[in-house]
Amino acid sequence: MTNIIGGENRKTPLYKKHIDLGAKMVEFGGWEMPVQYSGIIDEHNTVRNFAGLFDVSHMGQVFVSGNDALNFLQKIVPQDISNLSVGKAVYCQLTRDNGGIVDDLIVYNLGDSLYLIIVNAANIEKDFAWFIENSKDLDVLIQNKSSDYSMLALQGQNACKILEKSGFNISDLPKFFSIIKTVLLGKSVFLSRTGYTGEDGFEIILKNDDVSEIWDLLLEYGQEFGIKPIGLGARDTLRLEAALMLYGNDLDDETTPVEAGLSWSIPKSKIDDYNGKVVIKKQLEVGVAKKLIGFVMTERAIPRHGYEIYYKNNKVGIVTSGGYSPTMDKNIGMGYVDTKMGIGVDSDIQIMVRNKLYIAKVIKRPFVQKRYKIS
Amino acid sequence: MMVPEGILCSKSHEYLVEGDDGIFTIGLTDYAVEQLGDIVFIELPEVDSEFSKGEVFATVESVKAASEIYMPVGGKIVEINDKLVENPEILNESPFDEGWLVKVESETAHADSGDLLEYEDYRDEIE
Repeated sequence: MTNIIGGENRKTPLYKKHIDLGAKMVEFGGWEMPVQYSGIIDEHNTVRNFAGLFDVSHMGQVFVSGNDALNFLQKIVPQDISNLSVGKAVYCQLTRDNGGIVDDLIVYNLGDSLYLIIVNAANIEKDFAWFIENSKDLDVLIQNKSSDYSMLALQGQNACKILEKSGFNISDLPKFFSIIKTVLLGKSVFLSRTGYTGEDGFEIILKNDDVSEIWDLLLEYGQEFGIKPIGLGARDTLRLEAALMLYGNDLDDETTPVEAGLSWSIPKSKIDDYNGKVVIKKQLEVGVAKKLIGFVMTERAIPRHGYEIYYKNNKVGIVTSGGYSPTMDKNIGMGYVDTKMGIGVDSDIQIMVRNKLYIAKVIKRPFVQKRYKIS
Repeated sequence: MMVPEGILCSKSHEYLVEGDDGIFTIGLTDYAVEQLGDIVFIELPEVDSEFSKGEVFATVESVKAASEIYMPVGGKIVEINDKLVENPEILNESPFDEGWLVKVESETAHADSGDLLEYEDYRDEIE
């Protein structure tokens, strides 16, 4: 029950705003971040029912440009960036030769051979080193601009209405997984229709100097639409319900995208070589030894990261993410299990919680239907 | 929030209060439940089970994490607050009253409670 905050954590430009809003702060990925304001369940329901504003300035922004920018990106991710139109975004994994995942990211095509990559806070230095290592002999400029940019996420069914009130025509807003460079309330921003909640919503990438004013204005304009500031606690419960991956929990250097159930994101048609292609292609053809499953507890217990998964009383895997789902009012989790056990949807498994086994049922992911506005 | 009279608190945030019948009520302090945030699961011991001072007798889980709860004094569980199992949020709303965890018979309470603090001293200690 102790949250010790060390002296060396970084603070976002909104740090003081969070304190003034009564946020409880925690360390996350080397940053001091708000974990909750009004309470995790209330914030979670606010995003599901209305709209929420998140400070995600801890996340990293890397810009890639130059004649070989596309070649570079083709080499570092299994996704086919050559098919990524200007103004579009794609969810990617940064893979090693063994197929393991260095990080998961969103790549945006900003046009004129300029790409933006959004990376996880805790991985900024690791990713950047990996980018440099993979850019040898290529005519590419890789710029880590994470210290210059802040990022907000405006998520929920009312996100559109709040941007409308902020001066946009709904029809001018970027479509799902698209990005525009625009002016929001007088500030130059990248506005992207992406998020980490399973709801319709936007991510706003802007200069550090501009973020405080935009934060205040969005909270003000959003008031009539039920907006609240949302902390990392609800960010985690929202993404878990949507079965979105958390790097460091569900993904790591030893897990491949195929094992993680991300094969849908890997186009079989990609011709160019990329790091890990041999392993990933083989796994797509012959299968994998471990696979990600989602489950709901049928007995009363909460699964947590690191708990063991059993099947017919034998240990078969490990929970990577788990917790209480406010939307379902049930306890849910994800984890990896040994593929050869034949575990699938509707299988009864067991989770070891404090030295006792509790029954859970494997169910289809996501746990809560996503409500993206695709068209 | 009304803090019961004569309450003693541990540095691990359990409280102990003696009733007129000599039975002790154990729960979590207001500070503890505020720090935990939304409580969504409570596991309580069985009636008649016995614990020594410092042993884990219950688990309280918030949305974020599971926390073990320690006996502030040794004793035998004579009653558990069943209502909390179905409605764990009661612990957030009323830690000192409706949100008590267990009642115990303790022969060693007076010897065991030497390191417990009066409420004001406890608040000074943690802040």
